[in-house]
Amino acid sequence: MVPTPLVAASRQRRLVSGDRVFRVIAYGAAGLVMLIAVIFIVALVVPALPAITKFGLGFFVTRTWDPVRGEFGALTPIYGTLVTSAIALLIAFPIGLGAALFLAEDARLSLLRSPLSFLIELLAGIPSVVIGLWAFFILVPLMRDKVDPFLNHTLGFLPLFRGTPSGYGFLTAGLVLAIMVLPIMIALSRDVIRAVPRELREASLALGATNAETIWSVILPYARVGITGAILLSLGRALGETIAVTMVIGNSVQISASLFASGYTLPSVIANEFTEANGNVYLGSLFYLGVVLVLITIVVNVLARLLIWRFSGSSRAAV
Amino acid sequence: MKRVLVALSMGASVLLAACGGSSVSTNPSTGAPVTSAPTPPAAQLIGTGATFPAPFYDAARFAYNQKFSQVTINYNALGSGAGISQLTKKVVDFGASDVPMSATELTAAGGSDNVVQIASTLGTESLAYNLSGVSNGQLKLTPKTIAGIFLGTIKNWNDPALSADNGGVSLPNQPISVVHRSDGSGTTYIFTDYLSTVSADWKTKVGKGKSVSWPVGQGAKGNEAVATTIKQTPGAIGYVELAYVIQTNMTQASLQNHDGTFVIPSAGGATAAASQFLAINPTQFSIVDAPGKNSAPISGYSWLMLYKDQAEKTKGAALVDFLDWLVTDGQQYAVNLHYAKLPANLVKDDIISLKTVTSGGSTLLNVPAPS
Repeated sequence: MVPTPLVAASRQRRLVSGDRVFRVIAYGAAGLVMLIAVIFIVALVVPALPAITKFGLGFFVTRTWDPVRGEFGALTPIYGTLVTSAIALLIAFPIGLGAALFLAEDARLSLLRSPLSFLIELLAGIPSVVIGLWAFFILVPLMRDKVDPFLNHTLGFLPLFRGTPSGYGFLTAGLVLAIMVLPIMIALSRDVIRAVPRELREASLALGATNAETIWSVILPYARVGITGAILLSLGRALGETIAVTMVIGNSVQISASLFASGYTLPSVIANEFTEANGNVYLGSLFYLGVVLVLITIVVNVLARLLIWRFSGSSRAAV
Repeated sequence: MKRVLVALSMGASVLLAACGGSSVSTNPSTGAPVTSAPTPPAAQLIGTGATFPAPFYDAARFAYNQKFSQVTINYNALGSGAGISQLTKKVVDFGASDVPMSATELTAAGGSDNVVQIASTLGTESLAYNLSGVSNGQLKLTPKTIAGIFLGTIKNWNDPALSADNGGVSLPNQPISVVHRSDGSGTTYIFTDYLSTVSADWKTKVGKGKSVSWPVGQGAKGNEAVATTIKQTPGAIGYVELAYVIQTNMTQASLQNHDGTFVIPSAGGATAAASQFLAINPTQFSIVDAPGKNSAPISGYSWLMLYKDQAEKTKGAALVDFLDWLVTDGQQYAVNLHYAKLPANLVKDDIISLKTVTSGGSTLLNVPAPS
């Protein structure tokens, strides 16, 4: 049936008012998100003020974390956070890039592609506490009895691999983080590699370059910025991971050159100590750690997004 | 593990309630029905605080609710710090902490005259270890060697200081892995209080607190995680609440107490230690390194806090009735969970304190003053 002009007009009006309602809802939702963000920042900084006024910027370079004497500094957990994240990226980057190249480039094994992609998504979906449990019961004994002694035996001339392995510590925590950031690394790298224009690839092959040469001298240089973005987004994930790291890092306030040693990370300190933190300065110091962590992750995430955005010209890679 | 016990004791309490149903309705001396039996008014009570006594509070509040169904009690085990701050903000009816409120905390809550603090239960700690070939209680530790291990001056199980106390036991040439709590906890407070008492070195270098700056070792979150970490790390040692050691069949050390006797920590040892200190109050509450032949050296009380002036009369009356029951009849539920019964002098002090709680000027707990 063809609607009469009158019905069509009223329908038009309905649509217009529907648009208006939708616009109000959308604006409201966006405003609410912004409001939550502002409230969040205020609610984080205000309780941190007693510690910020007491310790100032010296907080960043103080190694002590002594609740008994009320002396607090963030250097030890900052160190632990950076070291474990660096280990995670060192392990996850080559593996992730290799897997991404395979997924994006190698057409011969296309049958394997979708199961592999599925498995990667599955890995990304595993709750971190489950990974932590697995690490605590399986990975820690494995590291203590096999991996750490092997590294100590072969690379023990480096201070990094000296000391008695307990299974807990920077290396194990870094390995757990590597497993957790791999899916992000693979998915993002795969997307930026796929976004390399087909013409470039074909031109390179037409000039007689092998597949490997094409990847090395054409695709990777072109995708460089995007891959850097993927690394930074993975870093953002690694920096904030709490529970799985807390379960295997060993939770002790020390800075040690040995990767077998126990350490501490920013999220772990907060998660461990907030329940019994009494007094404004102690609790304030935990909030101050939170401020430090948020600052670090914001910087990393903004950098990552800028790079990916510059590369792909869209926010497609937002994960 | 603890949950299982809680569930068991809950089951037991149902049975107890069912069996005891007929005896409470008549007065034993006259046989006449009791008309003025102190039945608490209907109320919903909320408490927040320490995790250490939480299994006991859970079992007890369940049993009390079986007895008086008009009173429901919720307890959130969010930690001692949360217990104190939520009481101060008056968002809960009672708070719980392993360490009584400090002078500063009391000032924040309106002064020490406004808050009543009572001891609720008594616990003790063990030093559990993982050494193949050294069975339960076989390892003997003295205050000196315990301090040495946790300060990091004794690093290997074959250290001469350890062998000197352990003639006949072959201690391996193996590094000692110290395991401690990573989260702030009353368990840590009691243990570091003990170390500060027995070792001047510990007192000056580390001190006591719910979280301290540990010289050695690695931290695990909660008693369960400390227990599991010790179990799966050869050469490990750590302090664990007695209940976890018993439930998970860990090997624990014999500890030399103040009198020089070696004891295996037990609930009985905690009671023995507590009986040595008659003047316990919220400012003098430490019972570590107690004298006495049977005293378990690393013992301590857990505390409950409430406001002296209760804004709502019915709620206040129900609260003091529950707490009065908790420190008397309710103590049986503590024993099931490997806490120790409060000694008689503390029960008496608790009831005297509870009798000072008022609402609109009138006393809320109408039980005879203990003699």
